[in-house]
Amino acid sequence: MNPLAHLIISLTILTGTTITILSSHWFLAWMGLELNMLAIVPILAKNTNPRSTEASTKYFLIQATASMILLMAIFLNNLTSGQWTINPPHNQTLSTMMLIALVMKMGMAPLHFWLPEVTQGTPLIPAMIVLTWQKLAPLSIMFQIFPSTNTSIILMISILSIMAGSWGGLNQTQLRKILAYSSITHMGWMMAVLYYDPNITILTLIIYIFLTISTFMIFYLNSNMTTLSLSHTWNKLTWMMPMVPLMMMSLGGLPPLTGFSPKWAIMQELTKNNNLIIPLTMAMLTLMNLYFYMRLTYSISMTMFPTSNNTKINWQLKHTKPMPLLPPLMTLSTLMLPLTPLMLTN
Amino acid sequence: MLKIILPTIMMLPTMWLSKTHMMWINTMTCSLLISIFTLMMLYLPNNSCNLSLNFFSDPLTSPLLMLTAWLLPLMILATQQHLHNNSAPRKKLYISMLVFLQISLIMTFSATELILFYILFETTLIPTLIIITRWGYQPERLNAGSYFLFYTLAGSLPLLITLLHYFSSLGSLNILTMTINTKEMMLSWTNNIMWLGCMMAFMVKMPLYGLHLWLPKAHVEAPIAGSMVLAAILLKLGSYGMMRVTPMLNPLTEKMSYPFIVLSLWGMVMTSSICLRQADLKSLIAYSSVSHMALVILAILIQTPWSLTGAMILMIAHGLTSSLLFCLANSNYERVHSRTMMFTRGLQALFPLLALWWLLANLTNLALPPTINLMGELLTILASFSWSNFTIMFTGFNMLITALYSLHMFTSTQRGPLTYSTSNVKPLFTRENTLMLMHMAPILLLTLNPKTIMCLTP
Amino acid sequence: MHSSMILMTMIPLLTPIIITLIKPNNNLLYPHYVKLAIIYAFTVSMLSMTMFIFTGQESMISNWHWMTIQTIELSLNFKMDFFSMMFTPVALFVTWSIVEFSMWYMSSDPNINQFLKYLLIFLVTMLILITANNLFQLFIGWEGMGIMSFLLISWWHGRTDANTAALQAILYNRIGDIGFILAMTWFFLYSNSWDFQQMFILDRTPNSFPLMSLLLAATGKSAQFGLHPWLPSAMEGPTPVSALLHSSTMVVAGVFLIIRFHPMMENNSLIQTLTLSMGAITTLFTAICALTQNDLKKIVAFSTSSQLGLMMVTIGINQPHLAFLHICTHAFFKAMLFLSAGSIIHSLNNEQDIRKMGGLFKTLPFTSSSLIIGSFALMGMPFLTGFYSKDLIIETANTSYTNAWALTTTLVATSLTAMYSIRIIFFALAGYPRFTTLILINENNPKLMNPINRLALGSIFAGFLISNCVPPTSHPQVTMPWHLKLTALGVTILGLLVATELSLMTNSMKLSTPLKTFYFSNMLGFYSATTHRLNPHSSLTMSQNLTSALLDLFWLEKSMPKMTTQTQISASTTSSTQKGLIKLYFLSFFIPPMLALLLTI
Repeated sequence: MNPLAHLIISLTILTGTTITILSSHWFLAWMGLELNMLAIVPILAKNTNPRSTEASTKYFLIQATASMILLMAIFLNNLTSGQWTINPPHNQTLSTMMLIALVMKMGMAPLHFWLPEVTQGTPLIPAMIVLTWQKLAPLSIMFQIFPSTNTSIILMISILSIMAGSWGGLNQTQLRKILAYSSITHMGWMMAVLYYDPNITILTLIIYIFLTISTFMIFYLNSNMTTLSLSHTWNKLTWMMPMVPLMMMSLGGLPPLTGFSPKWAIMQELTKNNNLIIPLTMAMLTLMNLYFYMRLTYSISMTMFPTSNNTKINWQLKHTKPMPLLPPLMTLSTLMLPLTPLMLTN
Repeated sequence: MLKIILPTIMMLPTMWLSKTHMMWINTMTCSLLISIFTLMMLYLPNNSCNLSLNFFSDPLTSPLLMLTAWLLPLMILATQQHLHNNSAPRKKLYISMLVFLQISLIMTFSATELILFYILFETTLIPTLIIITRWGYQPERLNAGSYFLFYTLAGSLPLLITLLHYFSSLGSLNILTMTINTKEMMLSWTNNIMWLGCMMAFMVKMPLYGLHLWLPKAHVEAPIAGSMVLAAILLKLGSYGMMRVTPMLNPLTEKMSYPFIVLSLWGMVMTSSICLRQADLKSLIAYSSVSHMALVILAILIQTPWSLTGAMILMIAHGLTSSLLFCLANSNYERVHSRTMMFTRGLQALFPLLALWWLLANLTNLALPPTINLMGELLTILASFSWSNFTIMFTGFNMLITALYSLHMFTSTQRGPLTYSTSNVKPLFTRENTLMLMHMAPILLLTLNPKTIMCLTP
Repeated sequence: MHSSMILMTMIPLLTPIIITLIKPNNNLLYPHYVKLAIIYAFTVSMLSMTMFIFTGQESMISNWHWMTIQTIELSLNFKMDFFSMMFTPVALFVTWSIVEFSMWYMSSDPNINQFLKYLLIFLVTMLILITANNLFQLFIGWEGMGIMSFLLISWWHGRTDANTAALQAILYNRIGDIGFILAMTWFFLYSNSWDFQQMFILDRTPNSFPLMSLLLAATGKSAQFGLHPWLPSAMEGPTPVSALLHSSTMVVAGVFLIIRFHPMMENNSLIQTLTLSMGAITTLFTAICALTQNDLKKIVAFSTSSQLGLMMVTIGINQPHLAFLHICTHAFFKAMLFLSAGSIIHSLNNEQDIRKMGGLFKTLPFTSSSLIIGSFALMGMPFLTGFYSKDLIIETANTSYTNAWALTTTLVATSLTAMYSIRIIFFALAGYPRFTTLILINENNPKLMNPINRLALGSIFAGFLISNCVPPTSHPQVTMPWHLKLTALGVTILGLLVATELSLMTNSMKLSTPLKTFYFSNMLGFYSATTHRLNPHSSLTMSQNLTSALLDLFWLEKSMPKMTTQTQISASTTSSTQKGLIKLYFLSFFIPPMLALLLTI
């Protein structure tokens, strides 16, 4: 791709999301979403192989549908309330409609089936964008309309997402698909607490983005696509080996690591509202997530050869991808738990 | 508390920066110094002391802290042969895992806040898991690691939820103020489930019979240091947590404990009789710790001063004894290269001194008077006897079977003719003798003065 | 004074043990150290015993407070009453002889030092048991003896039989220990103390429960019927071990325990009856078993068991002092019998079968005569040691109003004693030699002669001396009809005559198929055959099939981890398998929004 075109497209992605986040006008927000969606399609289809094309087509169709549903809801909202300002709609049907559109955009259960396929079809970096940056715009709209949505539907969607993410990931050996399912689970967690404390949603989102980006970076560094290829890490990046398991566990939400802090906050918020069964179910289901991360961990670093003779013969080329952001990202994604109280005080 | 935690943390740079040949010595010295320091600092016969805002120590924690600190040098001693073929960075990584584990354990035992306790309780999983799954011997270690992790996590998530609920209803989960702060728990469905939520995590960790499947697997697959720390301390985390949480759950424990007491009585006999038929040395020791921990569960659930004292003594005694047994099994393994008892017959002829250690270890395991093991078992049996006279059938039967399998273990590893496959074995190293002595000495010294670990007055 | 005496008895015994810790190298003189230490301890304890007899003062030392558990205080407590003061020199004397004997018997063993050290540690635990003033200390001695017996039985640890016998001993002892623990718990709870004094004061009309558990403990340790099979099996150990542990000292610990608790037992008729019946059954059963055994050591072992039963009977008729007297006298001649047996076995190149002996009176005159002295003392021949206790026991039993069946049983057993003793003499000593010829028979070594000599003297005179010192606590019958007076002697002589007659008959009779009763006796009443096959088999099968395979590996594994895995796998495959077709996505997108909208409208 032409670098200039690439730049423009990337900027459009940024701009679209920013417009959505900043606008207080429904139409403008919708427009931002559309901009963002249209811009990401060429990025997804950057590699001109059938898989990417298929993925980008799928992405386009789904997003367009979602946008249309959203647009319809916006129009109906305008019809009933007579204004374009982004406020929680008074009509619950409309807010449910918007919710469904946004759920579809974010790829949450039960409208999640496209997400793993799309991520699997694209290269690592576009997949990373799909799983991180693309969640921002819809979530920001969610953030603004949640008070009028039906709580049970939100909770239902979030639990379904957690289930779908956990069970889906168990079945996979492809790293991008696993991460897509993991994203579905995380989105479920975010949505679960949205009604009770939206700040925690943001915290969860931020931490999720950190974790996902650093995971993708590591995979990108090694050009890993499958679980099997992960087992070569010891030969390429010896010093990554103790770190990767920690990050995986953090992604799974094991206590002393950063991944636990959003879960902790969410569970605390839910229990504070006398909601005990739902967080328990969510946490239990997320154990499956942890399980498939552990599987990755096993193949990365737990099954090395007992002796390290082979490391002397470096038969791979040295990697040429500079990753200046990786160390801080990894630190953030493993050791941030003690800072949680700071992040939670509004 | 920082006086202990900081030096332990500083062991990491000390070790990473020291030269390869000095690494063992440096870590050993540091950890020994730390453990001696804990001995001096943590002996608090009567009262608890706040060491900082987040950490405190009282007669319940200080023996466990001492045990934790004492076990690190022992683990370092024990692993040297196991890591012999590894490259230097890997050795260092392994030791740093041990040190991490030590740090998290110290912090877990001394945490004042229950949520902090929970987080650290889970923290201990990570280094242990890495030790088991990375440095274990066989491919099954991955399975064992998963069992270990998921049993514990599935048990402890309800605890987290319950703790959070308590936090929102009580406003504080400080252990020190807990007895003042809590409301009485009456018999109701909700409270029953809360009780279960609080206890299940620790029951899994202990482990209670029925929830114990992870333990033999983890023990069998773990390298020596993993087995040692698992048997000696990680199981005690469960009993420690139980003792900490029960004041919050009164008076519900009296009613709710029935099925668990019965289960642990039954499980104690069951697991010991499993021991009679184990061919695998490490698995045998693992099952024997399940059976001993059942006694501890029994003692904690009965909740009389005697029983809690008994539980405390038993915890320490079992910690040292089972760790010693694992060391011995490892010494055998390193020479015979098999854990099957059939292949380790007649080692007395080759290693008379090792046979002595085996004998002593087995005698303490079967609670020979006047060792502290006996004191603990006796107090537990006493308490359970006064709780209900019929328990003596199980506890007494368990004593019998314990003696049998301990001596069976001794006989089948040390006595009899040598097998033909035992050839070309290394002699017993001084390192190993020191290791055994350092296990045995605390047991003997505590036998002389058990007051140190029994000043727990709830 | 007493306390310093008892310390002077204990400390020399500990020195050789400590020496090995300091200087572990193989020291050729070590056996002599051990012997000297024991002699020294013996002398001192003799002094303190004479002093005790002179003053008659019971004392108690309590020093070194060990710990306090809530309300109970445990400290190192020695009790020096008649029983401990009397039994200490006896035990030391017997041990002295046996240690000296083992210097000869085990001289070819490279680990003789270790062996002697084990014997010494055993002795120390025995003394701890004897002098203990609280139940915990007694338990230390009790268990210590059990473990030492385990180690000593399996001394020749290359032999499977020895190991099995050792494990068997531990198993039966441990069953007894359950009783001990039970009693300890009971006393802890109900009298809040383990000190004898306090327990006795608080329980004037005691419950039968702790006493029954104590009886169980004694049954295990003293090899009473039901838990007896370990004792003959324990003969797998070296002969000095059999002589010391399994005849004269360790096995009487159970009886000793009951004697200690006599103040509580004397008022409880249920326990009395139980003790009496159990003792009677044991003494008869084991005597019957002894009749047809062919292993020299096993016969003596069964006779030990029979004598232990007799002691139990004595306690059952409420005569603890007589039982104690029998313990002391029995120690001498039984130790000597074993030593003589050891001498014979050693001379015949480790041949234990009495059918392959014969005519030893000519070749081993000294051993034979001491064997005869011992046997006669065992039978209760007048004015030998056994007479003083055994005769008294039978007389008291005859004149007491107790269970007539038990009494008859005991009398029959007494006559059987004579039968099997004569059988040994007849087979081993008389007749023609039946052993292979090329054996260097030798009994000139002073290390062999002296101990047997000493014990022979003891077997002749000790009874007289000791019985004079026993204070008559419960009034013995002063007068009685002559037929009762002579019963003991009568039944013994009857047994003797029958045995001689039978033995003579066997020579002139042709071989016939043995009777069923012979099998009963020879197979030890089929007790071992049934219990030793059935119980371990069933329990081990249960632990294999039920607990290990069914519960642990199948049920628990299936119900929790495996089931979780299965459900997760099926849920995962159903929820995430998809074709990736966009039309299906849209179809699936159609349903949930409709549902949601329907819900909200």
